[in-house]
Amino acid sequence: MTRTTTSIVAAVLLALAGVDMAPAQGRGQAPPRPMGFFVTSVGIGSGGDLGGLAGADAHCAALAAAVGGGNRTWRAYLSTQARPGQPAVNARDRIGDGPWYNSKGGLISQHQSQLHGDTLIEAQRGSNLFKQFALTEKGEVVRGVGDPGPNVHDMLTGSQTDGRAFTDSADRTCNNWTSSGAGSAQVGHSDRIGNGNTSWNSSHATTGCSQADLASWGGAGLFYCFAVN
Amino acid sequence: MTKSRILAAVLMVSVVGSYVALAQQGPARRSPMTFFVTSRPIGDGGNLGGLAGADAHCQTLAAAVGAGDRTWHAYLSTQARPGKPAINARDRLGTGPWYNFNGEMIARDLAHLHGDTLELARLGNNLTKLTGLTEKGQIVPGLNDYPDPRDNDWDWVKTTPYSNRHEMLTGTQPDGRAFADDLDYTCDNWTSNGGPEPGAPFGPLAAAPGKPNAQIGFPDRNGGGNGSWNSSHGTRGCSQRALPMTHGVGMFYCFAIN
Repeated sequence: MTRTTTSIVAAVLLALAGVDMAPAQGRGQAPPRPMGFFVTSVGIGSGGDLGGLAGADAHCAALAAAVGGGNRTWRAYLSTQARPGQPAVNARDRIGDGPWYNSKGGLISQHQSQLHGDTLIEAQRGSNLFKQFALTEKGEVVRGVGDPGPNVHDMLTGSQTDGRAFTDSADRTCNNWTSSGAGSAQVGHSDRIGNGNTSWNSSHATTGCSQADLASWGGAGLFYCFAVN
Repeated sequence: MTKSRILAAVLMVSVVGSYVALAQQGPARRSPMTFFVTSRPIGDGGNLGGLAGADAHCQTLAAAVGAGDRTWHAYLSTQARPGKPAINARDRLGTGPWYNFNGEMIARDLAHLHGDTLELARLGNNLTKLTGLTEKGQIVPGLNDYPDPRDNDWDWVKTTPYSNRHEMLTGTQPDGRAFADDLDYTCDNWTSNGGPEPGAPFGPLAAAPGKPNAQIGFPDRNGGGNGSWNSSHGTRGCSQRALPMTHGVGMFYCFAIN
C-alpha cells in the first residue's frame, strides 16, 4: 500500500470513527490495539501493603490474565523511595514507552512525554487518561466523585506529577508499599476530580495506610497497571 | 435516558460541593459566581456576533440569574486581521480567582487556569465535569451521557437538553492565546455560520485552508484524545448544523472580570 493510500484510508477511518474520537473505542480498526493499560478492578485488600512492587506487579498480571491479557508483561504504576542501599524507583521508568490502549482499544497515551506532560504544551493539553477512558481490565468505568456508591477514584502512585519518586524523607509510598498501618501514600484521581486539581497521578496524600484510611479519602487501594511490551 | 438521571446528577452536585469544600478545608462561606458555561447557545453556529455579541450573551444569561452586576466576558480569542491585532481569551478574564455556581473555585489565577508552568499544567485547574456548571447550576452533558445515535444531528439535539454537548467554543491555544497562523480557528472571528458544504467528506478535525472551523475544549475533560478544557480540536464547520456533528451546540465559557 502506498503512503498516499494509507493516509486516505486513515482519513476515511478517522471520518467513520467520527466525532470526538471517543467512539474510536471498540470500533475494531486495524492495527490491533491490545489492552496495555487498566485500573485494577479490585485492590489487594490490605491498604497500602501491596507486598512491595513485586506484589503489586503480580496483582496486575493476575487481573490481566483473567481477561486474556496475560501474554504481556505488566507493571504497577508505583514509585518507591530511596532507602539505605536501595535507590528510588520511578513509576515512569517501569512502564515501557507506549502507546498504551485501554481494554476497549481507546488510546490512553502515545508515549511517556504525553502521559506525563514533559513539555508545557503536552502538560497543558493532557493525555487521554480521563474517567471515560481509565477503565478497569473488565472495561468498567471506575466510580468517582458524584457517582452512586463509594468513591474509589484514589489511585495509589507514590509519585510526583512527573512520574518520579519523591526525594524527601516523608513517607509517600506506605513504606514502599509494605505498610497497612502508619504512613501515607500519594494518590492520583482516575476521574480527574478532587482536591482542586485534575492530576491523574499526584493529587494529594492520604493520612494512614490501612484499607479504612484509604477508603476515608475516596479510595480502595486501586492502582494503574501498564504493559511494558 | 430519563430526566431523573440529570436530576440525580444535579442533586449530587451539592454533595460534591461539600466534599470538595471538606477536601480543601475551605470556609463555609459561598463565593459569588464568577464563572459559568452558557446554559444555551446563541443558536447561529459560530456566528456569535463577534466578541461583543458573545459578551452580551454572557451578560444576559448572568443577569437572568441575578449576577448581572458584574462585567462578563466570553472566553474567546480572535485572530489578527489587517489593521486589527489578535485578541487572546486569557487577556479578557481579569485576574481571578473564579468561582462557579456552587462557589467552588475553578482557578486561583490565570497561571492556574492555563497551567503556565510545567507543574501547574500537570496538576491542572479545577474545571471538571462537576464544576463546569452553567449559570443555573446545571452539569453539561458530556461524553457517554445519554448516548443516542441522533446526538450528532441538530434536528434532534435542539429538541432535548439531554445529549452530549460538551464542546465549548474557544478559538484558543492551550495557553489561552489566539492562533497565529492564517487558518480559521474562530469561525472568522465569531461571525461565520458557514460550512461544511452538504455532502462534503469528513476530514480531520483540524483547521484547513478554506475550511470554516472553531477550536473547542471540554468542561468534562473527556474526548478528543486529550482532556483539554480549552483547546482539544476543531469542528466540522461553523454552521449550527455542523457543531453537533462533534457533540457541541455552540456554548462557551463566561468569566466575570470584576
